[in-house]
Amino acid sequence: MKRTLFGWLLVFAILISACASGGGGGGAPAPTEQVAEKVTLRLWSHQNAAFQKANEAIIAKFTAQNPNIEIKYENFPYDQYIQTIQTAMAAKNEADVIELFGTWTCSYANGGRLAEVPADVMTYDQAQQIYFKAPLDGYYCGGKLYGLPQEFNLENGGSLVNPALFEKHGVTYPPQWKTFADLIADAQKMTEFEGDKMMTAGFSAVTGDGVSFTFLAGILQSGGKYFAEDGKHFNFDTPEARQTIQMMVDWAQKYKVVDPVLFNDTENPVSTSFFTGNMAVGFVGSWAAGEGSIEYPDMKFDYVQIPPYFGPEHKYAADSGWGKVVSVNTKHPAEAWKLAKFMAGEQDGSLTWNIETKTIPAMKALVENPEELLAAAPFIEATFGLLPYGQYIGDVTERDQLFYEIIYPAILEAMQGATTVDDAAKKINTEANAMVDAKQ
Amino acid sequence: MANLSLPLRGKRKGKKTSGLRAGQLGFISGALIPLMLYMMFFSLLPMIWALILGFFEYSPIHTGSSLLGLGGDNPFIGLDNFRAMFAESQPARVFRMAVVNTFMFALLVLPINLAITLPLAVLVESVHDRLKGTFRAVYFLPTISSAVAVAIIWGFIYHPQQGLLNTILKLVGIIPPKAWLTDPNAVYLGVPLAMIAVIIAYIWQDFGYNLVIFIAALQGIPKELHDAACVDGANAWQEFWQCTLPLLKPTLLFVCVLTMLSSFQVFVIFQVMTNGGPSNQTTPLVMSIYLNAFKYQNMGWAAAISMVLFLIIMAVTAVQFWLLRTDWEY
Repeated sequence: MKRTLFGWLLVFAILISACASGGGGGGAPAPTEQVAEKVTLRLWSHQNAAFQKANEAIIAKFTAQNPNIEIKYENFPYDQYIQTIQTAMAAKNEADVIELFGTWTCSYANGGRLAEVPADVMTYDQAQQIYFKAPLDGYYCGGKLYGLPQEFNLENGGSLVNPALFEKHGVTYPPQWKTFADLIADAQKMTEFEGDKMMTAGFSAVTGDGVSFTFLAGILQSGGKYFAEDGKHFNFDTPEARQTIQMMVDWAQKYKVVDPVLFNDTENPVSTSFFTGNMAVGFVGSWAAGEGSIEYPDMKFDYVQIPPYFGPEHKYAADSGWGKVVSVNTKHPAEAWKLAKFMAGEQDGSLTWNIETKTIPAMKALVENPEELLAAAPFIEATFGLLPYGQYIGDVTERDQLFYEIIYPAILEAMQGATTVDDAAKKINTEANAMVDAKQ
Repeated sequence: MANLSLPLRGKRKGKKTSGLRAGQLGFISGALIPLMLYMMFFSLLPMIWALILGFFEYSPIHTGSSLLGLGGDNPFIGLDNFRAMFAESQPARVFRMAVVNTFMFALLVLPINLAITLPLAVLVESVHDRLKGTFRAVYFLPTISSAVAVAIIWGFIYHPQQGLLNTILKLVGIIPPKAWLTDPNAVYLGVPLAMIAVIIAYIWQDFGYNLVIFIAALQGIPKELHDAACVDGANAWQEFWQCTLPLLKPTLLFVCVLTMLSSFQVFVIFQVMTNGGPSNQTTPLVMSIYLNAFKYQNMGWAAAISMVLFLIIMAVTAVQFWLLRTDWEY
């Protein structure tokens, strides 16, 4: 009798658990409530003090103008943000409005997880007039617009510079580089060794993003392209690709301005090594200047434009940037798009966001009238001359895998002398196309 | 002669009674059922789900069918994920390297851990009773420290320019390696230097756990056995090797199984110290599962890898049980 009771309890437990939704719950609070006219929207972002402050400021303005709409703002550690979004989407329990990175958007949109921007909110044609192309196209998937960008994420064309090291080694400051060779020549003077160990790098771009964006920019500036004819596969085994890899190998082996064993994404990444005084010129996005000004308030530095690697034009591929999207499962699409447009589609909200986060605006108007923005983030001005030259990186299938598992490791090995330039180019080409095939 | 047979009291033929009263059974049920439900929801079900996902090309951002999101854009692919592990693709190469790294880490950690903790336990047991507690506490402190904090601190210690280790080595006239964590060419006896560095940090954090287990086991050995060995003329080494060590076999089994189990599942220290580099030389299977599941949204592939890890751990545990089995107790 008692065994039978145990048995039934076990069966009951299995049945209860089988009725639970697959993939686990998101652990997020209860869905939106509707009490008479009042609407509650949930907004998600990742945890970043500046981003949170920006969103809270805009929410306060929005709710003052829309008292019937309550916003529940939730944020998550960056490492858990993607997982939170994915598990919640599987359970149809995600927020109404989500702050999403542009390059991720098409994955979610093509999976049927995001709502298309309604025409009465903004059409793509209208968006092209408002935003720079590079950040906008991250949200444009299969001929449809799925979000509104707030940031032009620029990981090209600019570098942090340490005036103290320039002065220490008698190098002209501010830098007067006309060509990239001028930059390398100055960097050589500022590289410091202790025996054969590099203690200070003259110039470093050896990070997952730095190497990958330099690779794509080098190909474009050499007159090449990295997509194959079908626009989906890649062609990285080209003379332009090899020339760019050779340039980076020469930084390490010929000019010795960086030791890729000692300065890379794991050890001495640019965003920390520069601010500890171990780097004279650090190639990184302007976001690092914003973070550095907060975390290292005593460090004197500047953010300057650097010359193109090849040729006279600053051609490069950009990664879109953070923006706002709306879930396809939202119960209040009109209100959700009203919030998204207020935050990312109108100048006031976008300006507030860019000032607090110290990021480059995706909106052209904010760059044309930058006084308020530059008062908060003067280092952004160095990037303004680059913005019109950027193109969206394109549908690279799986951006993180392409950058951090394929391009960066192969080029790092070449810079470290473990493989040749030709082998690196072939390896990148083979693995990148295998990644595309695996995802199709 | 009086009939001493007792009448049967409520004993049904073919049925055994548990010997417990109804109240006791009720208490046991009440205590066990929540635990069983917990195990069902948070252990058994996720394992079953992972097993199922391994046969699908599943991504949480794809819309599948109404049946738990399977099918549709998350198609059933049978054994393709497992076949792909033997392919010449980049994910398959990283997987095979992760298998090698995981075994290398576990098979190095175990003997080094035992070589440190067992003699140390004997030493701690030999000191005055008043000092035993202090030593136990000091050696156990790293075990209760946050793994992330330990990894960050050891990352600073290994820093090539400002690290404490290189500073000390240079002070005593030893030329340190170029980089402890990021030099792909630094390999010693087939073991990458980055792996050695992570092993040192891991053992530093973990050895206290086995130490207290061995101390407890040593305290459980009857003193009379030691006295008998002394009377028979055994010296300290003979007493340890021929008396103490064999009696620790059950504890050794327990420690070996636990150490191998945790070594096969180490993740935090690798992610924080080396992020799997250089050149995937310190990428363990758990990191590969994490990256594929949550970074590259390839949950089906990640689930297949997790099944492989499960089978490996099960096989290794079975081998340990067989090798260290005992048929006695004291």
